[in-house]
Amino acid sequence: MSSTTLEQAPRPFVVRSPRQEAWRRFRQSRLAMAFLGLFGVFLLMAITAQVLELTQIHDGDRRGLLYDTSLAKQGIEVAPGVPWPEEATPPSTTHWQAWLGTDSHGKSVLLRVFHGTKIAFVVGTFGALLSVLIGMTLGLMAGYFGRWVDEAVVYVYTTVASIPYLLLILALAFLIRQGGIAKAYAELTILGFQPEAYMSLGLFTIVLVIGLTSWVTLCRLVRAEVKKVRELDYVQAARALGFGDVRIMFKHVLPNVFHLVIINFSLTFVTAIKSEVILTFLGVGVDKEPSWGQMISAAKSELMKGIWWPILASGSMLFLLTLAVNYVGDALRDALDPKLKR
Amino acid sequence: MIPFLIRRLLYAVPVVLGVAAITLALFTFAGGDPAAKRLGKNPSPEAVERMRKEMHLDDPFAVQYVEFVRQIGSFDYGDSWERKAPVRRIFLDGIGPTLSVSVPAFLLGALIAVALALMVAWYRGSLFDRTMTVAAIAGISVSSLIYVLIGQWLFADQLRLFPIWGYEYGWRSIYFVALPVLIWIVLSVGTDLRYFRTVALEEIGRDYVRTARSKGLPERKVLFKHVLRNCSIPIITRLTIVVPFLITGSFLMEIFFGIPGLGSQLYAAIRESDFPVVKAFTMIGTLLYVAFNILADVLYALFDPRVRF
Repeated sequence: MSSTTLEQAPRPFVVRSPRQEAWRRFRQSRLAMAFLGLFGVFLLMAITAQVLELTQIHDGDRRGLLYDTSLAKQGIEVAPGVPWPEEATPPSTTHWQAWLGTDSHGKSVLLRVFHGTKIAFVVGTFGALLSVLIGMTLGLMAGYFGRWVDEAVVYVYTTVASIPYLLLILALAFLIRQGGIAKAYAELTILGFQPEAYMSLGLFTIVLVIGLTSWVTLCRLVRAEVKKVRELDYVQAARALGFGDVRIMFKHVLPNVFHLVIINFSLTFVTAIKSEVILTFLGVGVDKEPSWGQMISAAKSELMKGIWWPILASGSMLFLLTLAVNYVGDALRDALDPKLKR
Repeated sequence: MIPFLIRRLLYAVPVVLGVAAITLALFTFAGGDPAAKRLGKNPSPEAVERMRKEMHLDDPFAVQYVEFVRQIGSFDYGDSWERKAPVRRIFLDGIGPTLSVSVPAFLLGALIAVALALMVAWYRGSLFDRTMTVAAIAGISVSSLIYVLIGQWLFADQLRLFPIWGYEYGWRSIYFVALPVLIWIVLSVGTDLRYFRTVALEEIGRDYVRTARSKGLPERKVLFKHVLRNCSIPIITRLTIVVPFLITGSFLMEIFFGIPGLGSQLYAAIRESDFPVVKAFTMIGTLLYVAFNILADVLYALFDPRVRF
């Protein structure tokens, strides 16, 4: 009884910032929290895979990476004196590298799937980052300055949106790989640092293609929202105080439309890792290191031979990560929507 | 209405011209040399020079652009570089197989999505609603390639219900398009269902629904008469906007299943730097997209009396 009365006692009035309020609402959904946790696990895996890879690369030499060396070459044996066959073997508990089986070259599916997580995160993060940067900046400028800037931005995104999407992606990917951009990228050096050694051309292509093609939705949304926000009193006040346009745009207006950016980031993240699979299958994606797209593409011939474990492993990973991000994105949208505030 | 249409059509002109400029610029400045590609391995510089002249690749950008715009206006895109046939022929050959996949998939998919959305709205908040919501989000989280590979393996390889690959014209085509159509529907229903459900639930929360209920109308009447009518506006506009994708959207299915439609032709053309074909298909896709967007706006205005031009 005493606990009931305690709960019924008037609570002190709590003031939460919008961010705390959103987090509180997000936390209420247990499934969303579970998926956020799952996303965290994937992120940790990606970081681990990246660190492991970096410790194995010396002076840009990519040979001898563990995921690219068959079990036989590593000296792993099925039974004493019998080396591991250099062909596809189903999952077994004999050695930890074979827990998810080996692929048709006798390489560990576990290690390759693990490394695929890194690829997914590189593609997702950088692709979405580029797309969000373009969409956010153009949207902010169009909404804030209005007039000819607005008209120019609207014209550009209407034009880009009018090109059939898949065609644009594929044509861009082919052109980037064949033309001068690929060459320039291979020779690019920034302060003695060569991006090509860390992000292969295939990865770079996907990032660029996703970034350049999927910013329109965000740009539209941000533009519409900024148009409303810029008329609010506090923006007028900031202008009256003599703050510059850039400062008002990024410090006063942007925080009010940033929820759109976050949600769109999660959507583009998913688009990017799904596009990796398609582009890799069509031969313009990742080619120098194992990715989920590669493993799924390889299943085209493997499945008919009864080799089901590589696609099961890579497909499940892709599915779980996509599902987690999709669900968290949905929950974020609900939590950040001021209309649902209660 | 008429002034609105004229304004929209006039605005479409710079958009189409812009797409033409982007397409041409991409292939001129970013791509490899199609002339060298045509001549095979290690061509002599003189041969490449002659080939470039023959293909009008060395013309100034402005000249190429004007020629391209003329082609768009006259619907005559010249001959393919790779296959010695007019682009028009390639397009007309491909359109049949493409539509035989996309039209049934589009119609069935839309029907299923709308029906499911109404059911979900009817049983909103119930276990069925929550199951469908989770199923939809799980469904769109699977890569399209997984659907294709598993579908081919299960239905074609194991059960031997459909062929894995290829196409035949005429009635036998049903046999070949069944699996791609099925997979297309699975791919599209998740996204559409989520959208239509949001639309339906938004309408259900409005004042007129409360009024209809409070005057004693049965829930069935409220949902199918009042709510459905108001939902039909966003549903119809959305379905109109996707019509152009009946031409370009079956791209992946055609490549995966070896259907000789526009998608396969286009994919081959991109790989072979067959620029006339890519140019033509891009512009046809763009023109359709622009046209159907205007049509969607007009429909929206016709159905919704609140919209003023």
